[in-house]
Amino acid sequence: MASIARSALLKQATTASRMSSFATKPVVNNALRAAAFHTTSRRDLLPPLPQRVDGTINDPAPVPPTSPSHGSYHWTMDRLVAASLIPLTITPFAAGSLNPTLDAVLCATILIHSHTGFQNIIVDYIPKKRTPRARKIFTWGLNAATVVVGLALYEFETTDVGLTEAVKRVWTA
Amino acid sequence: MAALRSSSAAARVLAASSRPALRLQGASIRGFAQLADGAQHSTTAAEQPAKMKTFQIYRWNPDTPTEKPKMESYTIDLNKTGPMVLDALIRIKNEIDPTLTFRRSCREGICGSCAMNINGTNTLACLCRIPTDDNADTKIYPLPHTYVVKDLVPDLTLFYKQYKSIKPYLQRDTPAPDGKEYRQTKADRKKLDGLYECILCACCSTSCPSYWWNSEEYLGPAILLQSYRWLIDSRDERKAERMDALNNSMSLYRCHTILNCTRTCPKGLNPGLAIANIKKEMAF
Repeated sequence: MASIARSALLKQATTASRMSSFATKPVVNNALRAAAFHTTSRRDLLPPLPQRVDGTINDPAPVPPTSPSHGSYHWTMDRLVAASLIPLTITPFAAGSLNPTLDAVLCATILIHSHTGFQNIIVDYIPKKRTPRARKIFTWGLNAATVVVGLALYEFETTDVGLTEAVKRVWTA
Repeated sequence: MAALRSSSAAARVLAASSRPALRLQGASIRGFAQLADGAQHSTTAAEQPAKMKTFQIYRWNPDTPTEKPKMESYTIDLNKTGPMVLDALIRIKNEIDPTLTFRRSCREGICGSCAMNINGTNTLACLCRIPTDDNADTKIYPLPHTYVVKDLVPDLTLFYKQYKSIKPYLQRDTPAPDGKEYRQTKADRKKLDGLYECILCACCSTSCPSYWWNSEEYLGPAILLQSYRWLIDSRDERKAERMDALNNSMSLYRCHTILNCTRTCPKGLNPGLAIANIKKEMAF
């Protein structure tokens, strides 16, 4: 058995069931907080700062250094991964047979696809200039999440039925 | 100058005497709102029922910065006003509230000064007809997510700085073979159609959520359209450098092709397509 996380997961599951009785109170609190956030007109979520002009008004805006790995290569890889997901998703069902290699490739592609997707969201909404610490936290949080999901998919593929078979079973359940 | 004036007056008299019926018609569809015209129109206004329209306009005065911005309503008679929103604004400024501040220059959609948010859409006030199909108030705001200088005047400093950063001029080392102008095939010239018409009114950039969040680093659709205009110019010799300047995570690739820019462009251009073309050219 190739499991590396099973004992830890089991331990977590038991503690979660024991803790469930305490979990009701904060839920109410959170709902109240959310309601307050939506009904007041004050939304202090990253309010705009006073205007600041870098250099004189006649200077051009600074041009960032060239980095294709964050630019054109990244974009091209994004499109290729997204496009390759379509045949990878359809093939196992169309062919009617299960191939572990194909399943593994599908898992890897989904992982990369979701990682770059979330990365785009972080780059869009957590500006490095404005919130450098939050940006770092979220970036590394995403990296950690990707590693965890990768390990989980590996576990699922090696010790369980695998992704395609799972979808099949859920579909016909 | 005096000669000019007298000649134009003579022409007007001539036109009036030759086509009196046409002149009467023309009175109700003239383009500019002017104080002096009010007297001329008193006869036509008496015949037609007054078409009152209320404009709610964003007001903020930098002289009293502690006062919050507010919406101020102005009601005018559309029979005495030209058909466009800019006509109404000029009329309001002339006759009701001279402190109302907005930019305008050419009143025909070629200067890009009067870009503002009218009924939720960024457009040029001079190209936007006053909506007459219902009696709802027309709401006019400055361009969204811009620092406001006063009332409807946005601060476009960053926009122009970004425009300067893409070097919007022909860069070329080799002289023309005949020592005259740089020639271009008809096909090459045709590539610039739909790009050179951009008047940099900033309607598209300020309608782009990506530009709202990341305007400091993302260039925005207007500047990228201009960037593409210089990228595909067959006479330019700095294509590689221009592409390198865009090749990072922020300048170009914050565009997620939601096409707000294309929908809002008052000149009917397609910045979304231009950006997609840049991405395609840079892909491999």
